[in-house]
This record gives sequence, structure tokens and C-alpha cells, in this order.
Amino acid sequence: MATEFPLRLVTPTGVVFDGTVQQVDAVNPLGEFGVLADHVDYITALVPGLLTITLPDGTHHFYLVSGGIAEVRQGAMTVLADDVGLPAPADEAALSSAAQSALEKLAGLSLYDAGYPEAADEIAVFRARIRASQLAREQGRQA
Amino acid sequence: MATLKAIRRRISSVKSTQQITRAMKLVAAARLRRAQEALLAARPYHEALHRVAGSMLSAERAALAPAEDARPAGLILVIASDRGLCGGYNANLIRRAEEEARRLRAEHLEVNLFAVGRKAADHFKRVRVPLAGESINHAPRLATFVLARALASRMLADFRSGAIREGGMVYSQFRSALSQHPAYERLLPVSMPEAEVAGSSQTQYLVEPGRAELVPVLLRRYVEASIFHALLEAEASEHGARMTAMDSATNNASEMIQRLTLEMNRARQATITRELMDIVGGAEALRA
Repeated sequence: MATEFPLRLVTPTGVVFDGTVQQVDAVNPLGEFGVLADHVDYITALVPGLLTITLPDGTHHFYLVSGGIAEVRQGAMTVLADDVGLPAPADEAALSSAAQSALEKLAGLSLYDAGYPEAADEIAVFRARIRASQLAREQGRQA
Repeated sequence: MATLKAIRRRISSVKSTQQITRAMKLVAAARLRRAQEALLAARPYHEALHRVAGSMLSAERAALAPAEDARPAGLILVIASDRGLCGGYNANLIRRAEEEARRLRAEHLEVNLFAVGRKAADHFKRVRVPLAGESINHAPRLATFVLARALASRMLADFRSGAIREGGMVYSQFRSALSQHPAYERLLPVSMPEAEVAGSSQTQYLVEPGRAELVPVLLRRYVEASIFHALLEAEASEHGARMTAMDSATNNASEMIQRLTLEMNRARQATITRELMDIVGGAEALRA
């Protein structure tokens, strides 16, 4: 059984990653999901969050994805991301207070309100940026 | 015949115009290269999205049809440029848009025009055609994903609310620096080219969270990406057209300078001949 599969991470402005990987973890509306080799043909929407690529040698690559679509077809995975950023250290306290106020805003909305999806995405963006910032710090410590 | 001084002044004025057109040609060439690179970089995303959308959306005809009580109207995005001096680029584009508007009217649809670029907005204002909206001043770049997203959400909102039955755009397809082709592309209701559908209809996907949730997400991306692609093509076309126009303007200026130089030399020669004649005539008179 294969343990590796091809992945292409593309955005409207270019190809961010094109190569063979062992595992991909990302976030869809139902939560985190992972893709390994020989995955069933699969299509899902992505919500803002962290996309983790595990290379065949075990190293991880992290990307901050603002949303998009992921597809697995005949063993090959394509991630169509709206926008991709690299994790960078940020002011985590400010981000978490922003996330908190976004959460309070969301609490006032019902699932069927017009602004609900945007408000939910906003929280996801703040959380992803906090996580990315933590990762960037950890990587900085290891280096 | 113009005086020597007047001709000299004209030559220097044509020369300075030529300097400007030459500089504009060089700038357009550099921008064209950048626009072509962006067009190339966008291709993998565009192709992959078309493939995914082709396999998913072709099975969702019901979800993609216009609302039953939708107003009989259509929205056309006219993607022109903000600045002129690019030959017939904007005129051709506007002519194509007007053709498309006539087609919609023949189908008894009311036409809403949305002008992207100052040249389109100015034209429709001049001929007193009301605009549904306009988006101008995109210096230095026209093709940004932010703009594509704004245009897409406008069109999708109109389509969903039943304000329009058809949405499309007129833009210039980039063939080469010398050739741009104004074209209309219908975006809504979505119709997938047969080839894309045939190639991918066998794939049975596991869909998360569910088809009902995924289709709107995919549709939005599809419209955004199509508009973004059209903006990229339009940007490359504009710079290509400007480069060609400025190249022929530079050549025309060279020809004009040549012609004027000839005229100037002739005038100078005539002056010299006249002066010689005067001297010879004077000498002859003295001798007589």
C-alpha cells in the first residue's frame, strides 16, 4: 500500500506547493480532518484554519488558509485555497480578545441570519492565527 | 510654404511626442509581461476549479437555475480599462457589450450594465444608458482577487434574490500582444462545457458537509475565479493593445519627422538658391 500521495496547493495567484506528501490535515465545517494515501474520492469546503502537510521524511509544513475547497480524486489531492499565508508570530493576547468579541457578536446571531457565516469565519480566522503564531514561536525555539 | 522656423518647431514637437509614445510603449511592454505572468500563474487554480466545479455542479441543475419568479433581467459586467491611448481596445469592447445588450433585449430581458473601468463608465454616461453600478480607478492593477470577489458577490446576490435571470461579462480575451478578442461569457445560470462534464462525471465523491452546503461554496468560488480570470485577460489585453498602439504611434512620428526634415531641407535649399540668385543678379546688374 502506498504511503505517499501527490498534493497540489494552489491559490488564484499561483501554486504554493506541488509535491509528494504523507499526510495532510486541514479544517472543514465539521472539524479537523486528515487525508492519507489511498483516501476515497472526497470533496469538502475548507474553513479558515491551519493546513498541515507532513512530508515523507516526517517534517511538517504549516500554512494559514483563509478558506477554499479540497478535493481528493484518484489518489491525488488538490487544495484550492482562497489565500495562503505562512505562520508568523503575532500579538496573541490581542488576537484572543478579538476572537472573544467576535464570539460575543456571534452569540447574538441566529444560524439563519445573513451575517452568520461571516461571523463564524471571523472567529475561525482569529483562532487559526493564534495557533499559527504559537507554532511559529515553537519553531523559532527549536531552530 | 511653411517657413524654416515653423518646420523646425514642428519637428521638435513631433520628437517630444515620439519620446512620450516610446516611453509608454516600454511601460506597456513591461506591464504586459507582468500581466502575462499573472495569467500563467492563475492557470492551475482556474483549471482545477473548473474540473471540480464541472463534476459537482453539472449534477445540480435544479439548485443552479434562476429563481422561478425572477425578474426578466440580465446583468452584464463590462470590463474595460481606466485609461485610454490603447487603440481600439475600449471601443471594440463597448461595441461587443452593446451587441450583447441587444441580444438580451431581443429575448425580452431588461439589461443592467455594470461598468468596470472609467472608459466604459464614461461611455455609457455619455450615451445616457443608466448603469447598475460602476467600479473605477484600479491603478496600478486591475486584476485583483478582491475586485473579483466584490463583482462576484454582487452578481450572485442579484441572482439569488431574483433580480436577474442571467449574469455574464464582456471582456477582452488575450490572444497575443497584437490580437485581443472581445467576448461575452455567461456565468449564471452556470452551464458547464460538455467536455468538462464528460471527463469528470464518473467521479463519485464523498461530500462533506453535504451537497446542499457545498454547492453554494463551489458556485461562489467558480464565479469569483471566472471573473478573476477575465480581469487577468483584460489586463493583459489592455497592455497588449496599448503597446501596439504606442508602437505604431512611434513609427508614425518617425515617418512624420522624416517627411518634415525633407521639407525643411527643401526650404533651406530654396532660401540658399534664392540668396545666390540675388547675388548673381546683383553682380550681373553691376556688370551691365
